[in-house]
Amino acid sequence: MTGWLAASIGLLAIAWQGDVTGIQLAQEVNPKLVKLFGSGGFKGLPSYGTGVIISQDGYVLTVANHLLESSDLRVHLYDGTRLPARVIAVEPELDVALLKLGTEKSKIEDLPFYDVLAAMKAPLALPGTTIFAFSNQFQIATRDEPMSMMRGNIAAYAKLSGRIGIFEAPYSGNVYVVDAITNNPGAAGGIVTNRKGELLGLIGRELRNEQTDTWINYAVPIQATVDVRLADGSSRKVSIQELVEKKENYKPVTKAQKGSGGGGYHGMVFVPNVVDRTPPYIEEILPKSPAHKAGLLPDDLVVYVDGLPVVSVTMLEEILEKYRPQDKVQLEIRRGDKLQTISLQLEVTPKASPAAGAKP
Amino acid sequence: MVRPALPLVFAILFLPAIHAADLNPKILQMESARLETIRKVSPSVVAVVTGGGSGVLISPDGYALTNFHVVAGQSPTLKCGLADGILYDAILVGLDKIGDVALIKLLPKDDKKPFPFAALGDSDKVQVGDQSIAMGNPFMLATDFTPTVTFGLVSGVHRYQYPERGMFEYTDCIQIDTSINPGNSGGPLFNMRGELIGINGRGSFDKRARINSGVGYAISINQIKNFMGHLRSGMLVDHASLGAVVSSGFEESSFSKVMISGMIDSDASRRGLKIDDQVLFFAGRPTGSVNQFKNVLGLFPKGWRVPLTFKREQENGSSERREILVRLMGYEKQDLNNPNAEAKPVPVPMPKGPNQPKVQNPKAPSGPAAKFYEAKAGYANYHFNKQERDRLLASIGKNGDFKALAGNWQLQATGRIGDKGRQSIVVLRVTPKGAKDGKNDLAQGIFDGIDFAVEPLAVEQSGKTMKDPPGSGGLLVAFFQLRQLLVYGEKGFVGDFSHGGMEPYYLPTPDGEKPNYTASRMDAEVLRTSLGGVNSKWYFNPKDYQLLGCEVSTDRDDDPCEIHFSDYRKDSQGRMLPGKMVVRYGDKEYLRATIDGWKMEEK
Repeated sequence: MTGWLAASIGLLAIAWQGDVTGIQLAQEVNPKLVKLFGSGGFKGLPSYGTGVIISQDGYVLTVANHLLESSDLRVHLYDGTRLPARVIAVEPELDVALLKLGTEKSKIEDLPFYDVLAAMKAPLALPGTTIFAFSNQFQIATRDEPMSMMRGNIAAYAKLSGRIGIFEAPYSGNVYVVDAITNNPGAAGGIVTNRKGELLGLIGRELRNEQTDTWINYAVPIQATVDVRLADGSSRKVSIQELVEKKENYKPVTKAQKGSGGGGYHGMVFVPNVVDRTPPYIEEILPKSPAHKAGLLPDDLVVYVDGLPVVSVTMLEEILEKYRPQDKVQLEIRRGDKLQTISLQLEVTPKASPAAGAKP
Repeated sequence: MVRPALPLVFAILFLPAIHAADLNPKILQMESARLETIRKVSPSVVAVVTGGGSGVLISPDGYALTNFHVVAGQSPTLKCGLADGILYDAILVGLDKIGDVALIKLLPKDDKKPFPFAALGDSDKVQVGDQSIAMGNPFMLATDFTPTVTFGLVSGVHRYQYPERGMFEYTDCIQIDTSINPGNSGGPLFNMRGELIGINGRGSFDKRARINSGVGYAISINQIKNFMGHLRSGMLVDHASLGAVVSSGFEESSFSKVMISGMIDSDASRRGLKIDDQVLFFAGRPTGSVNQFKNVLGLFPKGWRVPLTFKREQENGSSERREILVRLMGYEKQDLNNPNAEAKPVPVPMPKGPNQPKVQNPKAPSGPAAKFYEAKAGYANYHFNKQERDRLLASIGKNGDFKALAGNWQLQATGRIGDKGRQSIVVLRVTPKGAKDGKNDLAQGIFDGIDFAVEPLAVEQSGKTMKDPPGSGGLLVAFFQLRQLLVYGEKGFVGDFSHGGMEPYYLPTPDGEKPNYTASRMDAEVLRTSLGGVNSKWYFNPKDYQLLGCEVSTDRDDDPCEIHFSDYRKDSQGRMLPGKMVVRYGDKEYLRATIDGWKMEEK
């Protein structure tokens, strides 16, 4: 323990040389960040977040969270300019998304940015390193108001094992665990820098530690890579670097379905899944099915499954696939103007009704 | 659980241990400077035991700042501990509920010994990335009142945080990652020079418990300075509103603007502000967003006058830019900018610390501090208003004694009336019991040969006559009220006669020049009076206690008559009397004159 402490004090002393002041650092970093506004605003999911500009023409890295499920994704630049943004590529295994500012027609140039590929070449920061965190936590800033700045230290470089509600965090690689309370609402996609303002990593989500149930403050290192086991049994290495290099041509991996419950029989038939985000409206309820017993009706819109927001038929089916017969599921549905909570218990799919729970 | 990965293990094994002696001297210097600062300011930190919060002394006679939410619901008599380990009696002085500020006063154990106190800093100079020190008594940890010290960064400045239930609106506040917890409420935030830059009081919590989340807010000391005069005079201070609804113009446009989207009958509307005007500057600060506008608005108490610059698009495509001086109206009844539209995370005040002493009847004042308390509607503690008022009156009295001069008064002046280009003679006269019925007082005037007369206290006097001569806003009544004040003092007024705190006072623009509200502004001590339905504010120069001017309002829905006095000289009796006067009403100057003579008779 003594050695540890001495080591970190030593690092502090070394890092002090050639330092910029906190004030200079804030002024230098702030223009490279954007305030992000998208979907959310319910169930403790903020409708705001943070992103970091990585090219002069407006590519932005952020966390691949619910915020991006919006047709009206917007950013505010450091000078108050408001711009639309679109999602270019998402890698769920890294929990990172690449955005592009402006519309496909508009030309954006000369933005201040982080050379993220250069930052990746730097070695990982060691525990004990003093860090500064910048984000738009709690949506304190809008328009030209600057990001919130915090200071702390890297406490550990360790494997992330967190959860969001009942679900595992999407990213399970190594992270910088920090001793400042960085991971507040809206902080995701913000950055952690060292004393010189060099980019170290992206602030992650609001997660709880799987075992201690305490909140974790962490950042995904910019050098992050993950080995993903694919459906065919092979594995593939994914990295932020690859995402940034390939941009529009990046193909996210399709992972082997982990912990699939095979789904249970619920008896809801959804509207035809015709577009990317077909809202999960119930078209039909099969007689005597769990859904029927629970009182679900056609035209009900499923909004949450066990507290997890669902925005599309595809997403809903993917989630239900994880459950097993006899599992209890709590659905939050919108019927007319009102939200209602309905619980149903899944059953074994009856042989006589082939359509039940089947995908189109 | 978080499992340490390999690099950490390597770090521990292979890094050589470094001893303190090897540290960069710069770090050691900063460390010792920090310790010195903490040593210096610690004695000024207050543990507000009643209420379970913190505070900070700001004057040698024991005035201390804390949060409103610390003393709310408590008796006005408080118990406070200092770092010397002694428990002091204290008394509530003034309250700013919306701004979440309370001024209290500690009673010395030894009258000769001054209290240690913190110097006030300039919070407008604080920048993101600055270091800061918070002190206080979180969780009521220290039973000997030794303050807890936390050290961190300024995360944001000029932050706006929405009010909670109409209170605790933190405008223009300082955001810190310096840890503040329950019990830190009301405690000081210092810069590294040990100057008081804010009062800690709120945090953003959301999902996590109501303890430090790395996002705390301190009320900026510059805002509190604006309210200090009001707080010291025992008031329940109201914040300001503009009398207009502002909205973020064109949320869809790439840059944000602050637009006037609604107006009520107010000083702002009388000064010419209209719907669809764009607010460019408010009190000298640019207003690019609604947050910035609200930040500025929150800095001022009700009734203050501040400049506002707006831009108006004309129909022909050109635009007009104009600067006006706006008298701000109150906030509490007219919450025009209530921002319920958007659900934002509302930061909440730090809860109070545990283990508060249980008092049987928490409301009743008790103990040795009770003699410094007097309840009155509109005041946190009327005792302090009387104290401030009497101090002000005593100071004013040194400039001349008018008590014996209860007879006829006459003032003669020569000057310019309205926009008439020539010099006119003006006579103002008050005759006690001079009315036809022989009972009412009579105020008369001759303006460029035209006679006017009004009975200022007659019930049946019409509102129009009260504003005579036309265009002055009520100069005759104002002259009557001035005589009333100088001759009778408190006895001359049946309604309000109170200290009105501090307000900005704007000297009249010199002839032929453009108004410059920065250069012409000075701070003035205010006395408020009310008599015969006429409310007046008397502005005194806090340096020599000369009457700078007054605002006499015969009609609360209209502009007051403003008189500015200058060029004071001693008369044969040693009384200071002004040699010049300027009278304004609304946007216009009514009179600019040299006073030729004062005639004040004894009864």
